Amino acid sequence: MTTTAQFLPAPPLFSPVAHNWKLAILAGLVVSAVAIVLFPAKLSLGVAGAMAALIAAAFTVNAYRRRYYGGLLVAPAIAVLFVMNIFPLLWSLGLSFFAYQSNNQSIRFVGLNNYIKVLTNDIAAPANWDALINTGMFVVFTVALQMITGFLLAMLFAKQFPLRKYLLILVLTPMMLSVVASGVFFSYYYDPTFGILSYVMGEITGNQFILMDNKLGAVAGIVFTDAWMWAPFVMLLVLAGLVSVPKYLYEAAAIDRVSKPRQFWTITFPYIRGLLMLALLFRTIEAFKLYDLVYILIRGGQDTKTIAYLITEIANEQNKTSEGAALSYVILFMVIVLTNLYLYLANRRNKGA
Amino acid sequence: MTIMTKMKGAATAFSFAALMSVGGASLASAEDVTLTMAVPDWPPTRIMKKFFDEQYKPKSGNTVKLEVDFIPWPDFYTRVNASLTSGEQKYNFIVSDSQWLGAFVEGGYFRKINDLLDADPDFMATFKTIHPNPLNAYSTYPHKTENYYGFPQFPDVLVNFARADIICHDEEQKNFQAKYGKKLPCTGEELDAMTWDDFKNVGEFFQRKKGDMLAGKPAEDDFYGIAFQAGKGYDFSSMQINGFIWQMGGDTWDETKAPQGQAEGVVNSPAAVEALTKYLDLIQYMPPVAKTGTMDIFVSDQLFREGKVAMNIDWIGLGEASLAADSKVKDKLVFGQMPGTMGADGKMIRWSNIGGQPFVLTTWTTESQTKEAVDFVKWWLSNDIQHQFAAGGGQSAVKAVYEDPKYVTYRPWNRAWAPQLEWQKDVWHVPQFFELLTQQQDQFDLAITGKQDAKTTLDNIAKFQQDKLKEVGLIE
Repeated sequence: MTTTAQFLPAPPLFSPVAHNWKLAILAGLVVSAVAIVLFPAKLSLGVAGAMAALIAAAFTVNAYRRRYYGGLLVAPAIAVLFVMNIFPLLWSLGLSFFAYQSNNQSIRFVGLNNYIKVLTNDIAAPANWDALINTGMFVVFTVALQMITGFLLAMLFAKQFPLRKYLLILVLTPMMLSVVASGVFFSYYYDPTFGILSYVMGEITGNQFILMDNKLGAVAGIVFTDAWMWAPFVMLLVLAGLVSVPKYLYEAAAIDRVSKPRQFWTITFPYIRGLLMLALLFRTIEAFKLYDLVYILIRGGQDTKTIAYLITEIANEQNKTSEGAALSYVILFMVIVLTNLYLYLANRRNKGA
Repeated sequence: MTIMTKMKGAATAFSFAALMSVGGASLASAEDVTLTMAVPDWPPTRIMKKFFDEQYKPKSGNTVKLEVDFIPWPDFYTRVNASLTSGEQKYNFIVSDSQWLGAFVEGGYFRKINDLLDADPDFMATFKTIHPNPLNAYSTYPHKTENYYGFPQFPDVLVNFARADIICHDEEQKNFQAKYGKKLPCTGEELDAMTWDDFKNVGEFFQRKKGDMLAGKPAEDDFYGIAFQAGKGYDFSSMQINGFIWQMGGDTWDETKAPQGQAEGVVNSPAAVEALTKYLDLIQYMPPVAKTGTMDIFVSDQLFREGKVAMNIDWIGLGEASLAADSKVKDKLVFGQMPGTMGADGKMIRWSNIGGQPFVLTTWTTESQTKEAVDFVKWWLSNDIQHQFAAGGGQSAVKAVYEDPKYVTYRPWNRAWAPQLEWQKDVWHVPQFFELLTQQQDQFDLAITGKQDAKTTLDNIAKFQQDKLKEVGLIE
């Protein structure tokens, strides 16, 4: 029974059987194209939607008849992913090749012009490069600070001490707060009139202290807030690695009188290296998207505009949709290259070790 | 069998698609009309909703429901912009900032209302009693032509919020007189007569450290003389700087002169540079947060309510907050007009950038909805309701209302309202508004935080505007 089902022959292209997905795709494309030409936008969208449903139905029947149940089980997830994620992604990629502003219903194909503009235009490009350099700076500083603090915190919490459980909850709290809440909290914290930071610094130095009146201070403020929120995340990952190290390895090392630093490098580190890499990857990708704190704390002032901030300005406020899309894809490309570089280096090290 | 399965599948898919498209449409019968409205969340719109629910009886006899989305100010533009440009066609009525008109009229979202006015002489008559300055700013696109789009929802101007307990204190009065040879302004009339130089003196005079004497008592905290908007967000410096520039004989790019009017040479004229320099010169006397470029209208308002400054220039729309229970200065207030610049002929020049918002109708609003909306607007702009609105903390731009002697008794700042209406102007309603604004705010921020001087700032702005507006054909 299974054999016949699994070797169900592919039907000829024009055979009207329910599992003929090739025919469904062909029919869907033809009908949609005709609908787009003949009907108003709303109706043709409905027709195209119906055709997509038809194709999906054909695929489902096909999978069912071939007993391909695994595929059937993941299909709903893939459908949601496609509708919510992949389709908008492809749509915006398409938009980046058109001159399109969302508040103006005209659209025109311009090829690579948007990409050329965001990279070379004498007004747009310098702002983009500036924002890119700022983003790079934030990525390096925030990730470095989070990794170091998170790692040290994990080393601390790997040991047993009184009140450890409660302190751990306290340290993890910032990660669970919304970014906006933390941002507003820190904007008061840094405020020169109401804030405690300026108050304490003023008492110590006797001069008025304004953290955010220069770029260094503004960057420090943002980096600190970001690290405050996300160092616990790194800590959590590293801590998971630390507690998984078998105790007997340390006991054996102690018997062999291996020094503490050597114990760390030869026993502990190999266990947490993968998790550290993972934390680094997550935080780097996130850091590339830094927008909220820059907006809440300083409104992109003191030359702190990041690329995400700039894209929001261009695409959301100024409605230059396709230009924003082009810039986004440039960044996406960079992030993909960078993460792959990470993974490549990590794997090479693994093999070397 | 297989054909049947396929047809069944297709039928299901079709009915599903049909269901989706029907689900979005609203089901309104002739008797039930729902008007959906997007408004910023603050007292002027809350009052409007309250009046509607409590008092409004539609003349048509239909049941009219007003569904209002109250959106926080900082998100307001983004949310409205997203709703309009996504094509969801959710709102019939939108409270729009005056400068958005161009972008959304050109996009085909805002409905022209000339036909409604022409069809209804009553309505036209009410409409024409609105002061021409707010009317032009809130309603016309292209600016100052007879193409109408909006009705004033809440008109707004900048006024001087001052602390009577500080500035009227005898000792402060005496010391100020001794130092500057002039009386420290104390009453509303004296505040009205202030120039920016007087304002600067107040700023310099009231710089007190914690523990210094302030109005007969040691100050509990650092205290500052003056504050006004100098923030990078939205339009939180342009709206103040424009007033300086116009008062001192400079100009912004004038959209009514397009395409002959230029930006270069106008925006960065010597008078404009002088005006910006004067504005920047005052920053040093303001609370230190100004140096970070985040002193927006809400921050300066909060500093004032917390009792940290003697005088604050801010929108009347925020006045209600200064009287609220949590305001530390609620019983110590005096209000005057925004300071002016003394002209060569000895007359005060008071140009200022108008604030406030019109509400507009959207193009997809149905005929019956439009009819109800117009009835509602007529009711809203009727004298009785405008009086009640003003008494509840709003403002009215309807002549018969603000000229009524009762008007100034409603709120302490109302005395500064009518005289200032004559001096209100507005900037760009062109579709490129947001690009012009963002670039200008970025440049002003560099000047406010001390990164570049007034000349460079205005040169950069002028060059950007010239290039941008030339590109879109608004400058020849």
